[in-house]
Amino acid sequence: MGIVKGDQMVLNIGPQHPSTHGVLRLKVVTDGEIVSDIEPIIGYLHRCFEKHCENSTYEQVIPFTDRCDYIASMNNNFGYVVAMEKLMEIKVPDRVEYIRIIMAELNRIASHLLALGVYGLDVGAFTPFLYMFRDRERILDIFELTCGARLLYNYMWVGGVSHDLPVGFVETVYGFLDYFEPKLKEYNEILTYNKIFIERTADVGVLPPEVAISYGVSGPNLRGSGVKWDLRKDEPYSIYERFDFEVPVGEGTVGTTGDCWDRFYVRMLEMIESAKILRQALKNLPQDGDVHQAIPKKIRPPKGSIYQRTESPRGDLAYYIISDGSPEPYRLKMRSPAFTALSVLNEISRGWMLSDVIAILGSLDIVLGEIDR
Amino acid sequence: MTDNLEQLINDAVEKALAGDMDAINNIEDRVTRSKAKAALVKAKREAAKEQTEKSSDENSIDSSDVKQDLTINENIAELLIQQFPDDIIKELSSKEHIQIQSKNWLIISKYLRDDPACLFDSLQCITGVDLGEESDLEVRYNLHSMTHRHAVEIRISCLRNKAKVPSVESIWRIGDWFERETYDMYGIEFEGHRDLKRILLPEDWEGWPLRKDYEVQETYHGIVVPKVKEGWE
Repeated sequence: MGIVKGDQMVLNIGPQHPSTHGVLRLKVVTDGEIVSDIEPIIGYLHRCFEKHCENSTYEQVIPFTDRCDYIASMNNNFGYVVAMEKLMEIKVPDRVEYIRIIMAELNRIASHLLALGVYGLDVGAFTPFLYMFRDRERILDIFELTCGARLLYNYMWVGGVSHDLPVGFVETVYGFLDYFEPKLKEYNEILTYNKIFIERTADVGVLPPEVAISYGVSGPNLRGSGVKWDLRKDEPYSIYERFDFEVPVGEGTVGTTGDCWDRFYVRMLEMIESAKILRQALKNLPQDGDVHQAIPKKIRPPKGSIYQRTESPRGDLAYYIISDGSPEPYRLKMRSPAFTALSVLNEISRGWMLSDVIAILGSLDIVLGEIDR
Repeated sequence: MTDNLEQLINDAVEKALAGDMDAINNIEDRVTRSKAKAALVKAKREAAKEQTEKSSDENSIDSSDVKQDLTINENIAELLIQQFPDDIIKELSSKEHIQIQSKNWLIISKYLRDDPACLFDSLQCITGVDLGEESDLEVRYNLHSMTHRHAVEIRISCLRNKAKVPSVESIWRIGDWFERETYDMYGIEFEGHRDLKRILLPEDWEGWPLRKDYEVQETYHGIVVPKVKEGWE
């Protein structure tokens, strides 16, 4: 942090503060209203994920992954099972693949709804938050219908999923999509093109693409800077290559490319693309197939290691798994996208006003559970 | 009793070296099993070392192999061998990764980032690994290039008691936090890092939790830490 000069002040934000999205502490050095340095202090939510994994069997790891990014648990399950299946060379039935993609994309919409709603709250718009939570609730209801849990699902297992789809699931999701798609226009009217919102977010906290790449920033934050990079498109895993969807990028519509508004708007556009994928998946969902058929009796991967990346709502979520042939992982490392996104905060908030830091932090969409693991 | 155990471990290791990992995995007792694994890693290291010595004696391995069908890792390894012949440990590298010496890692990483054939502009992940209670630690770097869309894995091993690896924080900015995390969990010192301190654990934490020989401290801030129970209750 260096030496604090006489006319500077150190301001402590958090660990308990609503705008830090969890238990995050920011040590901010301010010069009047202007921020000259930020040091994020993390670890308040550290639950020894990686150490626990080394003492658990491979099946027992899945509920832990839920609790890392608790906003998008399905996507965390997904990344883990994709890595495990690649390591064990398991081919899962088509029906399972489609179910997984439906769940992952539903969870992506739910996660983005939370991110955008809370972001509105951060910059002072309370109403959109309520609207978006109302719609997110419908997705959680669908998950509850499927596996009984609303937040931490433990739904995807190595080789399959825990429950087959309930009766009437497809119609319920179609019903949700028919309801949800017109709502996006409403969000745009109420928040995206709101004059005050644009004033608060356009041209603020510009993240240039080369800085983003050097800091390992990924997902919507990277695409907000204009880099067209989406693992679902560029390194397809599961069956994403079968779907037709666009990768939206930030274009600086109301300000500079890579500003807070771009990062916000990319998420808004991504929800449209997710809805598109959902419609295709529902249409092609195979009617028959046992979802438990490919689940191995004993999970003992062969000796070796794997590094598998998947696209979670927050970016490149990767698992590095080292197996020594026993029922427990020898080493399991999770590469968390929110961790890298938070590390860039200091770089892009220096020189901005204190209230802008809250706007910048919110636009990065971090989840502390995943940062601290 | 102890003689019996040692005998059991030795037998299991011999079988495992012959390719039968089940011999070790079927050991019931968890402590014995991990001891056996550590012994196995050690045995393999020694075997690899012997091979290295042998091959350096023979010196000239035919290098005019067929160059088609090379994976990207092998391509990059070829490039690195031309540039830094002394730093690549060819014998321990494979199709999946390149093993290098730690000494010139900073120069090599700069080359990997800037050379037009490599252009690894993004450091994906740094993973620390403990190779077993009596062997070395290892740092694994997963690199990715946004231009060429290829990826490579670099591994650097370091001694358990003197764990030091050059820092690449100045090459890839995310190296800063990744290295702090690896330091936090394994106690590997990254030389040249501007602000190397714990990141996830409190600053006054004792020990390196992800090392296999880690023991929980007895008291923390005067509070007695409860003993870890075996298994789940």
